[in-house]
Amino acid sequence: MTAVVELRDVAYAYPDGTAALVHATCTIGAGERVALLGPTGAGKSTLLQLLNGLLRPTTGSVTICGLPVDDATVAEVRRRVGLVFQDPDDQLFLPTLLEDVAFGPLNAGATREDAAARAHAVLDALGLARAHDRAAHHLSGGERRLAALATVLVSEPDLLVLDEPSGDLDARSRRRLRDILQERREAVLVATHDLDLVRGVCHRALVLVGGTLVYDGPLETLLGDRDQLERFGLAA
Amino acid sequence: MSFHHLDQFAHTASPVTRMPPAGRIVGTVGLALVAATLPAGAWLPLGVLVALSCTLFALARVPPDVALVRLAWPLGVVLIASATLLVMVPGPALVRLGPLTVTAPGADRFATVMARAMVALLPAVLLVSTTSFPELLHGLRALRVPGAVATALGLAYRFLYLTLDELERLQRAARSRNAGHGAARRRHLLVAVTAATLGRSLARGERTHDAMLARGFAGTLPLLHVSPWTPQAAIELAMLLTVAAAVAVQARVG
Amino acid sequence: MAHIPDGFLSIPVLAGTAGASATALAVAARRSRATLGEREGPLLGAVTAFVFAAQMLNFPLGIGASAHLIGATLVAVLLGPAAGMLVMFAVLLVQALLFQDGGIAALGANTLNMAVLGVGSATVAVRALRAMLGSRPHATVTAAAIAAWVSTALVGVAVATELTLSDLVPFTTALTVVGLGHVVVGVAEAVLTGMLVSVVLRARPELFVHATERTRGHGWRVAALTGLALAVMAVAVVAASRQPDVLDATLMRFGLTGRGAPVATPFADYRSPVGGPWVAGAIGVFAALLVTWGIALGVVRRRS
Repeated sequence: MTAVVELRDVAYAYPDGTAALVHATCTIGAGERVALLGPTGAGKSTLLQLLNGLLRPTTGSVTICGLPVDDATVAEVRRRVGLVFQDPDDQLFLPTLLEDVAFGPLNAGATREDAAARAHAVLDALGLARAHDRAAHHLSGGERRLAALATVLVSEPDLLVLDEPSGDLDARSRRRLRDILQERREAVLVATHDLDLVRGVCHRALVLVGGTLVYDGPLETLLGDRDQLERFGLAA
Repeated sequence: MSFHHLDQFAHTASPVTRMPPAGRIVGTVGLALVAATLPAGAWLPLGVLVALSCTLFALARVPPDVALVRLAWPLGVVLIASATLLVMVPGPALVRLGPLTVTAPGADRFATVMARAMVALLPAVLLVSTTSFPELLHGLRALRVPGAVATALGLAYRFLYLTLDELERLQRAARSRNAGHGAARRRHLLVAVTAATLGRSLARGERTHDAMLARGFAGTLPLLHVSPWTPQAAIELAMLLTVAAAVAVQARVG
Repeated sequence: MAHIPDGFLSIPVLAGTAGASATALAVAARRSRATLGEREGPLLGAVTAFVFAAQMLNFPLGIGASAHLIGATLVAVLLGPAAGMLVMFAVLLVQALLFQDGGIAALGANTLNMAVLGVGSATVAVRALRAMLGSRPHATVTAAAIAAWVSTALVGVAVATELTLSDLVPFTTALTVVGLGHVVVGVAEAVLTGMLVSVVLRARPELFVHATERTRGHGWRVAALTGLALAVMAVAVVAASRQPDVLDATLMRFGLTGRGAPVATPFADYRSPVGGPWVAGAIGVFAALLVTWGIALGVVRRRS
């Protein structure tokens, strides 16, 4: 079975030379739920942006669903990888929610009717139906995060990637997010500081410290090991 | 600051809101053009246009008090601008006000400009009262406004709220830190805050671009709605434009 | 401020300015897409929102007065002329349609004045000044400030010209009132633009697309072209009046000591012959187009 994500010795350095990621090698299979942990500045966001071709590795290779990420395949890769950014306001940029959610399918070539139908369906499923013809600034913070999620879920990606999804969520919205993640069938990668969010949801953890993958194993084991958590700078 | 108070009648069903936004824009521009260019002394055609506009307001169920409130400010601006015409045009004097002289041609021009401006404002106020911003954008796109401009406006709509929020937050933070008194201090503060906002606006633009790319954006914004042109709407627009054209012609020939 | 409401301008002027600005915008759209590519939309959107927000701000000047930023020069320095014109046009479009700030019929004129001439002249001025002053940050700030003043004053001249060509007021009166008004407003614009450019240049120099480019001694060419365009425009404006002795009348007016001395002016009888305003309008359009092309040529040659 083809792995959804395959990173082989990936390194990324900024244009000015600073290394953000070194020697990253890992594989994520279909349906796996993985937590990407690490202190701020460890390179988590960089890694995430390598997964959909927003950034290209300086060395090494990134393969998504068997496709090596390059200019020719990037459009298809972006259909397979749904990246939810840290700030929902960066992702809700159209005058109405419906348009925001239909954006992905329309870009992928869906007809207007099809895109609208799918957008309505996803918004309904997330409880945002009443806001479909309003702009995002009418929603609360939690609703906006859900809406941002909707813009990605609508394309039915093979890999769902979330960057700090629980940022400013209250307890109830956090629980809601956990439930949603539990239900997902596709592979999920959550980059976060919020250990409570991923406990019980993700089975596997990748830990990035200073651009290097220092841990790749069961999440439960890691969470039970106080020393390791402290060493990695993850202790709550 | 909100744009939403502007289009509160966009959700009221009426012949006006049933017209596709592109049609509404064309109608507005047509009426405004005719009104803005009526020859001097064409009082009957002016009256016809006013009656026409009032009919449209009624059809759109916009109450007169709302319309008048929205007309007030732009009308005030025009009043001030055209009042200067009273004293700036050379010719036989009518009234002397201190060092300034109101002349007959000046008074004529003042009256003409005021009348034309008022009547040209009516369709504009109607448009803004019956058309939501997203609809306006669709209309503009349909009318072949440069893609970059339409896209920019579409994104600017959202960005504006975020920008204003940020401005407010930064201003509050700066004020609490500096408690600046005096105009110069306040200005420096405001400039610093504005410059910071510019930087953040551009950064947000870049992050949004990334988010757009992540969802498959390839350069042109895809459209969701296609405003359906019904034969009725087309006929209504044609009628409106014909009447406007007739008024324009009659004003010059009749 | 500089926005002309509906009702002031005549059909020839409306048509001419609309045509000239449509042409300029079409050129700008093509160049902007070529230089910015797919990030054009989000970048222009962010700057358009910023200009809107900035125009709402009240900058205290002291003595109870405050100024509003127009932003044409700032945008020109940030984005370059092509994208800059599009951003200003977007702002003007929404202002006309949604806020009745500037007339709908007059949109062509307002676009020509503020978006095309305002941004274009600011670009030319900044490049010419930097060619003369050097490209260090200090010089860029000074260049931006002076350019803002020049550009605003030029907008005033354009407005005055359009009012004259529309048979409303004599050119000298329009120039005195409107032109002078813009010269004064231009000072505030210069101060604000200079301050903003200075702050941003220090903190985020990479934001300026064009400010940090080195000019390669094209300054004199640019300045010469600008001067030529302005001269042509001035001549055309004077010639556009329907009375052959308006030049004399204008000169006499300047030489007069008191206001109100009767002079045979073209406005004593405002019923103009059919050919008159169209000829005047046509010459005005030609002049505006010449200025636009002069700016465009200067910009294009600079880029190569």
